[in-house]
Amino acid sequence: MSCGNPHELDCREVLETVYLYLDDECENGRRLKIKQHLEECGPCLREFGIEAEVKTLVGRCCGKDAAPDSLRLNILGKLRDAGIDR
Amino acid sequence: MTSSPSAVGASRRTWADWVPVSGMSAGSIGSPPGRPSKKVVQVLGPSVDRATETPEQRDARFERDALPFLDQLYSAGLRITRNPADAEDLVQETFVKAYAAFHQFEPGTNLKAWLYRILTNTYINSYRKKQRQPQQSPTEQIEDWQLAAAESHTSSGLRSAETEALDHLPDSDVKDALQQLPEDFRMAVYLADVEGFSYKEIAEIMGTPIGTVMSRLHRGRRNLRQLLEQYAIDRGILRPGDLNEEASS
Repeated sequence: MSCGNPHELDCREVLETVYLYLDDECENGRRLKIKQHLEECGPCLREFGIEAEVKTLVGRCCGKDAAPDSLRLNILGKLRDAGIDR
Repeated sequence: MTSSPSAVGASRRTWADWVPVSGMSAGSIGSPPGRPSKKVVQVLGPSVDRATETPEQRDARFERDALPFLDQLYSAGLRITRNPADAEDLVQETFVKAYAAFHQFEPGTNLKAWLYRILTNTYINSYRKKQRQPQQSPTEQIEDWQLAAAESHTSSGLRSAETEALDHLPDSDVKDALQQLPEDFRMAVYLADVEGFSYKEIAEIMGTPIGTVMSRLHRGRRNLRQLLEQYAIDRGILRPGDLNEEASS
């Protein structure tokens, strides 16, 4: 679990916060400490690299489906009907 | 000889016309960006006074501000329901409800998050009940093996080989893996990684405490990573040994 070198933050502690770091949900002090740790620790950096890759893949591959034109027209039709009924 | 200078010029013009001006909000452009940044601040063009706004003006504002999110909500609907017909029904119902409630929406607050909350509520409260597929197995049970598996990887020295392999997976594998996650995990991961919502926004959209969001993200991503690693191995672009090769050294 550790690269064997001494760090201000333990590797386990860093890896537990991998998502907070990647999601930009760390407060600044902690973020800097993690960043410093990653600069010193190859194993943690590689682990972060994988997690970052998975996050990037999901963002890149899972959100690009265009709505069918028929759906767009149906919705517009329903909104116009609702407006007329008012 | 690839393309003529005039063709290049034409494509440049089209691209320049389409690119939104930097600093515009996602809600004020016709085509939402593929990867919006987190903490988007809604910027309204003309200021809105809901007290004096006519119904017709409100309709126009809804069409201008909410409809551009159609493609994004449809993608989310596809990932949530896992089939196109159900996604269309869900998104249509979401827009009808959003339209009916639009007088309650506070202009200048986060419209995208508001629409996603309606989508999620619609799915949970009415739509999910109609679906015939059996409920997912209890989500709590998969944590231990996921965490154990993750821990066994953490001292591996060939992460870059793995990163490279994952990067070569086809989009369909990534979509498929996401869709295999239990529903609550899938939604949390989608909202964070595709839409870039903050934990606080996801908590509001899903109606759960932030701690629950973090736990769902944690478990969902662990599970997702394992699935993707397996797909990469099955496709022959990642050797099983690459996952653990240096774990014992």
